[in-house]
Amino acid sequence: MRTKFILFFILSLCSLFLVPVATAQVQPGDSQYAVSLHVGYAHNLTYASYANFDLDAYMPINKHFDMQANIRTSTANFYTMGVQLRPKFVLPVGELYLEDRLMMRFVSRDSFRDFVHAFSVGYKMQYVNVQVGMSNRIITPLPYEKHSADAMILEPFDAVYRVEAFVRPQTSPWNISLCISNMDNYQVERMWQPMFYLGGWYDINNHWRVRLSGKYKLAGMFHLNAHYYGAELRAGAEYRF
Amino acid sequence: MKKNIQICLGSLLLALGSIFTACGPDARLDMVGMFAGTSPTIDERFEQSQEYNKKAGFATIQALSDDYQVYVCTDTHIHNTRTRWQYFIDTYRANPMCPVAVHLGDVIDATTDFEYVEEALAPKPTTMMLPTKSDTLMAVCGNHDIYFKQWKNFIATFKTSTYYFVLKTPTGKQDLFIIYDTADGTVGNKQLQWLEQTLEWADTQDFRHIIACTHTHFFKRDGSQGHCSNFPLEETYALLNLFTQHGVKMVWSGHDHCREITQVKGMTCIVVDSMKDENKEPFYMLVTMGDEIDYEFVAVP
Repeated sequence: MRTKFILFFILSLCSLFLVPVATAQVQPGDSQYAVSLHVGYAHNLTYASYANFDLDAYMPINKHFDMQANIRTSTANFYTMGVQLRPKFVLPVGELYLEDRLMMRFVSRDSFRDFVHAFSVGYKMQYVNVQVGMSNRIITPLPYEKHSADAMILEPFDAVYRVEAFVRPQTSPWNISLCISNMDNYQVERMWQPMFYLGGWYDINNHWRVRLSGKYKLAGMFHLNAHYYGAELRAGAEYRF
Repeated sequence: MKKNIQICLGSLLLALGSIFTACGPDARLDMVGMFAGTSPTIDERFEQSQEYNKKAGFATIQALSDDYQVYVCTDTHIHNTRTRWQYFIDTYRANPMCPVAVHLGDVIDATTDFEYVEEALAPKPTTMMLPTKSDTLMAVCGNHDIYFKQWKNFIATFKTSTYYFVLKTPTGKQDLFIIYDTADGTVGNKQLQWLEQTLEWADTQDFRHIIACTHTHFFKRDGSQGHCSNFPLEETYALLNLFTQHGVKMVWSGHDHCREITQVKGMTCIVVDSMKDENKEPFYMLVTMGDEIDYEFVAVP
């Protein structure tokens, strides 16, 4: 227990000081480097109650390319690191982008490592974001035994998707959005495990933005026997340079 | 790559097709359940199973030799016909080496009357959890078994969906079989605690093998899954860790309709083929339980 706490504390410090930071979701026209810190209270049927601490960095390298890095530490004793690379193409209406996402999750509580690669194509308009693509996953039992026949399990093909609608144009100083997706910055689920999001932001000034969002996760939606599995309430602030 | 894209498109079309065909008068998919399951939640179902377990206790079944055989089938999806279901019952009953058979869920397709399922067991009706029966059939519910509020019918027929039983051999060797309910893609909170307690108790016993049986499978290793879903990832890892820590040798599941064998930390996870009447390649699994566990897949005519 003590070891877990120390590891959690070290990772929290690392995420605070060592990582180039950022924001949760990219908005059309975003051209400022940004850093954000979020705290979340979560509950699910497996872990019961737990808290998440997220640190994100958004880096618009130029108008055709941006990057995002995300780190999550959790009191449930799992740790996620992710990076997203996005070439962008501005169209007469909206913006087309490709997204290459790499994500590593250490589920230390259960001694597994989960590595996901997802490649998707997205289209952004003022009120809607749509993204669809493919992913693959490598599940590695820990400790890793490279000479073992069951050293890793490959899930070679899956799909990712994200559909998000906003009540106001995405350039607005405040907004509310509703989203269905099987991925976020800290988890890529299997294709038949969608998650529902309701979120919003408010710009205090040109530099500071506050965010509040909720996530609802069902189990068995495509078993056609859906019931509550988990939920998360997340709040944080973002600083744009 | 091309195959993957075909699988992706096929799955999406299948899902969309399912949604539309499920709205007709002969609906076999409970589309309301996509957003709100029409049967009780897993925690509620677990409580009902436990109520029966308290009354009936857990079965200890005597095998005739140290090496005995267990017949395992899944996803019979009984609807208008029950040909293979009847074949399976007749086959395992004819084998004196088989003290028990296991059905891993989706006994019915959706709106089938469970009496139609039970009739195949006549003239020697099998009663769940009676240890004196030599042809006991053990079952767990699948998602199709609880569509259209049918959990109450399943529980009336099979009495419980979360339990364990012990197979005892003439020389005193014991194997533990744990059956747990994952009909809505989760083990829930209470059942997870029960699994932890049961496996902690098992650690104190001298079991030769521990086998876990359920409906939902762990992994999504190929495109065969179509539109069938798994556990949430958090639960996948928690269950795998729990089972491997307590020495579970095998996990038998169904749901996928397509055979898959995966090794995890020395534990073998087997997804058994469907035995649905409409299926072109039906199989059941024949397991020989000795000091080692051997299994083979037997084609059903």
